[in-house]
Amino acid sequence: MSMITRRSAVTRTLRLAAFGVAASLAFAGAAKAEDLLAKVKAKGELTVGTELQFAPFDFVEDGKQAGLNKELFELIGKELGVKITFLDLPWPSVLPGLEAGKFDMVAGPATITNARMERYRFSTPIADATVAILKKKGDASITKPEDIAGKKVGSAKATAQLAQLQEFAKTLPSAPTIQEYVDFSQSYADLGAGRVVAVANSLPNIAYLAKQKPDVFEVVQPPFGKPVYFGFIGTKAPEAQSLMDAVDAVIIKAKNDGTLGKMQEKWFGTAMKTPDHVTKASF
Amino acid sequence: MFSIDVALKSLPLLLGASVWTIVYSLSSVAIGFCIGTLMCAAGLSQSPVLRGIAAFYVSFFRGVPLLVQLLLSYYCLPLIGINVPSSVAAVGTLALCTGAYIAEILRGGFLGIPAGLIEAARMVGLSRAQILTRIEVPMAVRFTLPSLVNETTMMVKASSLISVVGVLELTRLAQNIATSTFQPLEIYLTAGVIYFVINAAITFVGSLVERGFRAEKAA
Repeated sequence: MSMITRRSAVTRTLRLAAFGVAASLAFAGAAKAEDLLAKVKAKGELTVGTELQFAPFDFVEDGKQAGLNKELFELIGKELGVKITFLDLPWPSVLPGLEAGKFDMVAGPATITNARMERYRFSTPIADATVAILKKKGDASITKPEDIAGKKVGSAKATAQLAQLQEFAKTLPSAPTIQEYVDFSQSYADLGAGRVVAVANSLPNIAYLAKQKPDVFEVVQPPFGKPVYFGFIGTKAPEAQSLMDAVDAVIIKAKNDGTLGKMQEKWFGTAMKTPDHVTKASF
Repeated sequence: MFSIDVALKSLPLLLGASVWTIVYSLSSVAIGFCIGTLMCAAGLSQSPVLRGIAAFYVSFFRGVPLLVQLLLSYYCLPLIGINVPSSVAAVGTLALCTGAYIAEILRGGFLGIPAGLIEAARMVGLSRAQILTRIEVPMAVRFTLPSLVNETTMMVKASSLISVVGVLELTRLAQNIATSTFQPLEIYLTAGVIYFVINAAITFVGSLVERGFRAEKAA
């Protein structure tokens, strides 16, 4: 008798659990189909994933977030009438977090490439991302990008900048040795320590670094890479389109009235011309 | 080359972040202790089902790296409709992970309790729950205190991983400051000293409690 009761209790619990899982799946489905812009506005909060180790876009100054992203998203928040909440994660966690719905969009920014456009919806470009060479101050052996031939050069793993460096290396008479780092800050440290003679990264980043440490680093002009741009990232899901369109509208307005140009001057030392839309990247 | 100024300037910021390191690691040890006690009791019970659950729990959370557990709870649970915020994912995963180790530590303590003592407790009419909370757990904790203190210091250090789910703690802030000031040596050294002080304090409290137990026994 007691055996039977216990078994039916188990079945009942299992049935309840199955119902619970099904119900939560249905809820998740319903939540996903809701329009993202409407959801953000109803909540009064736009959650943005980013990495605070990408100066001059996003970094820590006196323990607080600083950089172009903070100022540009302040403007976006003001125009949309919502509060901006940033979530700082290591870069390899940022895009998975976007796909898991942990935040509404990603700051970063990331280089707009054809491969990434297949998976993500980019915002209108916010800066030039063309790759250039950073060298040690006063290194006379490197005066143009081609001079890295046969030397040891660093860049960061799984970045569009590394891919461009690899392409460029193929065009040189003797291939440089490419050292891959987990993030760019380690490659800068190794350049300072003399373990590599140059680092390849996007111009805004290395120009900012050379400005911060003028006695250590120097940018080699001109950039060697194909012209590419930086953009913020959202998902390609149809419910996210309204949000990304609204963000684009704010940024394009800031481009036209000179607000973005002023921010670029402040953080990169120079204003940059960027197209309103990138439908096909050069890379 | 070493700039003491940079270290001193970053100290208040790092101390602020170390509060989160302490909060996250100690709260997860507290929750993990409760989970560990239950799992230990389940593992030593007569029921094969309970023993199976405890064995699976311990082998999973001890066998899978904590970093992978954190990524699974934060990025994979949403796929089945469970969307946990960063802080819950961090505390929950740390607690479940340390619970598995604590269950095994306590099991060693439980096995050291003389069978006659439990028999006597049953004879005077204590229930199973009373025997667990009033006799077995206090005795097991006394037997295993050094290992439990050891586990707590391990969790303080393991909490440096929770930044992968978007939680700010000491290591993450140190990384962020180091990349913007280009003075990694000063910043990481300061962070290292803070971790050392936290764990020294935990070890000190542990030794005080141990001394208390010994005095109690002598009295």
